[in-house]
Amino acid sequence: MELWKYIGRRLIQIAIIFFVIITVLFLLFRLAPGDPVSRMVDPDMTPEDAEHLISQLGLDKPLGMQYLYYLKNFFTGNFGESFHYGQPVIDIIGSRLPNTILLFTSAIILAALVGIFLGKIASWHKGETTDTVMTIGALVTHTVFLPWLGLILIWVFAYKMNWFPITGMLSEEVWLDPDAGFFTKVLDVLHHMILPLTTLFLIHFGSYLLLMRSSMLETLKEDYILTGRAKGLPEKIIRNHHAAPNAALPVVTSVGLSLAFSINGGALTETVFTWPGIGRELVMSVSQNDYPLAQACFLLIAIVVLISNLVVDTLYAYLDPRIRY
Amino acid sequence: MKTDIETPRKAHLKKFPWMDRLRRGWAIYKQNLLGKIGLSLLVMFALMALCSFIPPLIDKMYQPMTGVDPEITRSTGPSLRHWLGTDFMGRDILSQLLAGARVAFLVGVSAAFMSIVMGTAIGMVAGYMGRFVDTVLMRLADMIMVMPTMLVVLMIAALFGQLTIWTIVLIIALFRWPGVSRVIRAQTLSLKHRPFIEAARVAGASHLRIIFRHIMPNVLPLSFLYMTFRVTSAIIIEAALAFLGFGDPSTVSWGMMLQWVWKTGHMFKAPYWLLPPGICISLITLAFYMLGRAMDEVLDPRLRKEAGSD
Amino acid sequence: MALLDVENLSIGYHTQKGYLHAVGGVSFSLEEGKSLGFVGESGCGKTTLGMALMRLLPPNGVIRDGRILLDGVDLLQKSDEEMREIRWQKIAMIFQAAMNALNPVHRVHEQIAEALLTHNASLDKREAYEQVEALFQLVGIPKDRMQDYPHQYSGGMKQRAIIAMALACKPSLIIADEPTTALDVIVQDQILKEIINLQKEFGISMIFISHDIAIVADVCHDIGIMYAGNLVELGSREAVFNNPMHPYTKALLSSYPTLTGEKSRLMPIPGETPNLIHPPSGCRFCDRCPAAKATCKTGEAVWVKISPDHKALCYQCGADCRNE
Repeated sequence: MELWKYIGRRLIQIAIIFFVIITVLFLLFRLAPGDPVSRMVDPDMTPEDAEHLISQLGLDKPLGMQYLYYLKNFFTGNFGESFHYGQPVIDIIGSRLPNTILLFTSAIILAALVGIFLGKIASWHKGETTDTVMTIGALVTHTVFLPWLGLILIWVFAYKMNWFPITGMLSEEVWLDPDAGFFTKVLDVLHHMILPLTTLFLIHFGSYLLLMRSSMLETLKEDYILTGRAKGLPEKIIRNHHAAPNAALPVVTSVGLSLAFSINGGALTETVFTWPGIGRELVMSVSQNDYPLAQACFLLIAIVVLISNLVVDTLYAYLDPRIRY
Repeated sequence: MKTDIETPRKAHLKKFPWMDRLRRGWAIYKQNLLGKIGLSLLVMFALMALCSFIPPLIDKMYQPMTGVDPEITRSTGPSLRHWLGTDFMGRDILSQLLAGARVAFLVGVSAAFMSIVMGTAIGMVAGYMGRFVDTVLMRLADMIMVMPTMLVVLMIAALFGQLTIWTIVLIIALFRWPGVSRVIRAQTLSLKHRPFIEAARVAGASHLRIIFRHIMPNVLPLSFLYMTFRVTSAIIIEAALAFLGFGDPSTVSWGMMLQWVWKTGHMFKAPYWLLPPGICISLITLAFYMLGRAMDEVLDPRLRKEAGSD
Repeated sequence: MALLDVENLSIGYHTQKGYLHAVGGVSFSLEEGKSLGFVGESGCGKTTLGMALMRLLPPNGVIRDGRILLDGVDLLQKSDEEMREIRWQKIAMIFQAAMNALNPVHRVHEQIAEALLTHNASLDKREAYEQVEALFQLVGIPKDRMQDYPHQYSGGMKQRAIIAMALACKPSLIIADEPTTALDVIVQDQILKEIINLQKEFGISMIFISHDIAIVADVCHDIGIMYAGNLVELGSREAVFNNPMHPYTKALLSSYPTLTGEKSRLMPIPGETPNLIHPPSGCRFCDRCPAAKATCKTGEAVWVKISPDHKALCYQCGADCRNE
């Protein structure tokens, strides 16, 4: 049960970090120029509603009390009402979160799997054309500017070729049609998801490929590989069964370390493709001065990053027996 | 010949050991293809940046932000007058591109430099002081590393209004130092127990003096290596922010150009406008990446192609 | 017929600085059930020799000359596929425990079973694990540690596991490359006794490689002394120990402290090993040899037979050497 203890410890760490983030955010909101009240209360509200909200959020109390109110509201899911949508923030972010998770996790997992697989192959053919092509491809896709890549993909495949829709996650016709089955709806979402997924995927898989490649080359120099050869194992088994599992470990670590960077990319992708996720919501709410929504989106993204870190770390601990035992 | 008198050449080397290392490093660097390509690309961009001052001098209409061509008020394709065409307000795209190069270097180098300074200082102090100071600083670093920089800047923009380019640079630096500090800290830890540090301590040097006089020179080369990686991420973050509309409206950056092309609906109609800024951002990222990899080889002997027999 | 006959083996490495003559013209035979130890300082080529016997040289290594006859069959003529089958079934290797010889992400018993399953297609997993269990018992590792990962083992246990793995396919020859280096002396002693027992019990021939002549003398019937890629003395352990002929052997023995016998000064060997990329002509030990003569550099290599089972390499003319 070492694994559970490990997860437990990390959860506590995450809780602490998150606590710090909340507090910093709280302070920032209060310290920023302008009237903090106007940040939480929609200026278009009626005075009575505004009064009610102010007392509910504790904005008329001293700073210490405000902080407690703030925490209480956070844990009860009360983030106030969005200025822009006029709905409770919690509903909005609740509906956006699954979309982000769908897009983001599929892209990262796919990128990791493909990157590891191709990196492994590239290392086998080191110096040959296959390797050069893959390395250059990885290098190029890794350094391309993400939003620009998205725009180019839209231009070529959506606008010119008309293979994919230009924006959004759903087609109205499909989702409003009472006869449309579940499967049709799923296909529709997937159809919309291909371009944004490709963008996020391309940006990430390159770095995993390059890392796996150099990791494999290093691993193949290890002593246990010599043992494998001495035992008379076929080369394929040595590479796949002995070298690859060890070589993949640093790549898993790298996925975890670059999660913050990946989330940036996720938000950009959502914005370019008008994918209704949390990242895009954050960007939009900031430009519309919708403070309650912006704040909640930010906190939610922070949680997503922290939990993702935990997931990756746990995966690593599971894959590397030296940590598990 | 008396052995206690150093020859002038030797004395020169002793004074600047890093110069000798620089020369050797350059020799290794030259052999690396990636490094050469990266460096040439960077030189090209540097030239672009330098040339950005030229177009406005030729004619006022070539001003990137405020240039007004009396004959053109919409986006047009490449022509003799405007080699890359004009944007939706009739401004010359090429001068914008050149100005963008200037901004990119400015942002990249300043943000990287600031984060290096912060990261090195904090890393050295954490590694040298150890225990409580170390734990606190590294926990802080952990927390900062978890945050997606661009989104943090967004939040700050939300609260404090439109940000100037220098504020953006500062915030980027504030969020990038943890990576540097980790490496510097590790290096400091390994240096801490070396005899020459012990000797300095015994001789009565204060902690500050030890850190800056003895540890820092040994740690700086590593700092500069990491600077190359930091530059790329700073440029990308600024570009992304500008793209989303949160950049400094008074500076023309490549990200800003992309924002204009996108928001004004010219995405599908003006490839001459859409392509150049994106290509530039991508290429400069590539260039710095190659530079970083080549420098990696210089600093880490194990990565070099020359293998000794063993 | 001897189990192993090596004739005039020459091995080298292609390096950036040139071709390194790692092993030059080595010949020896090994009978069934006997053990032969190769002793020498680092860089003398003993490990290269061991690797070459299994044709496990790194990509830049080449066998330039010679024959390796295992049961009369020249291994150097075998294809890669054929070698793969011969490895572990006919010849196995025991590596240093200090090395990362076991894959850290797989359980130990799986790795040993893998050897069995690779060479015996008709075996199923359960039977393989049963055999692994028997092997563990043989080398003295508790059964309940079978499913552990390598990092959970102590150094001694790892060495035993490696020995068990080498015995898995019942090879006729085992090459042990510094199997007790980096173990503490008590464990070292235990492992050595194990190895001797196993060798006697199963009648396995063994080639033992070490820089420690004391260990080799303990374990092996015959000893070969290597210097700078050459085999300079070869004979039974009694012969070599009691009557060392080559100046290097003598120097080696006198640089070792002994608990018994007369008190004598420790004599380190002055100088350094020669550069093997540009090896000196003539005897390679010449520059450090107390008995060097002018003819050493120009003379031909001659195997001087001191007794039927003892010979030494010398470049001076034969008669002189015998008289020393």
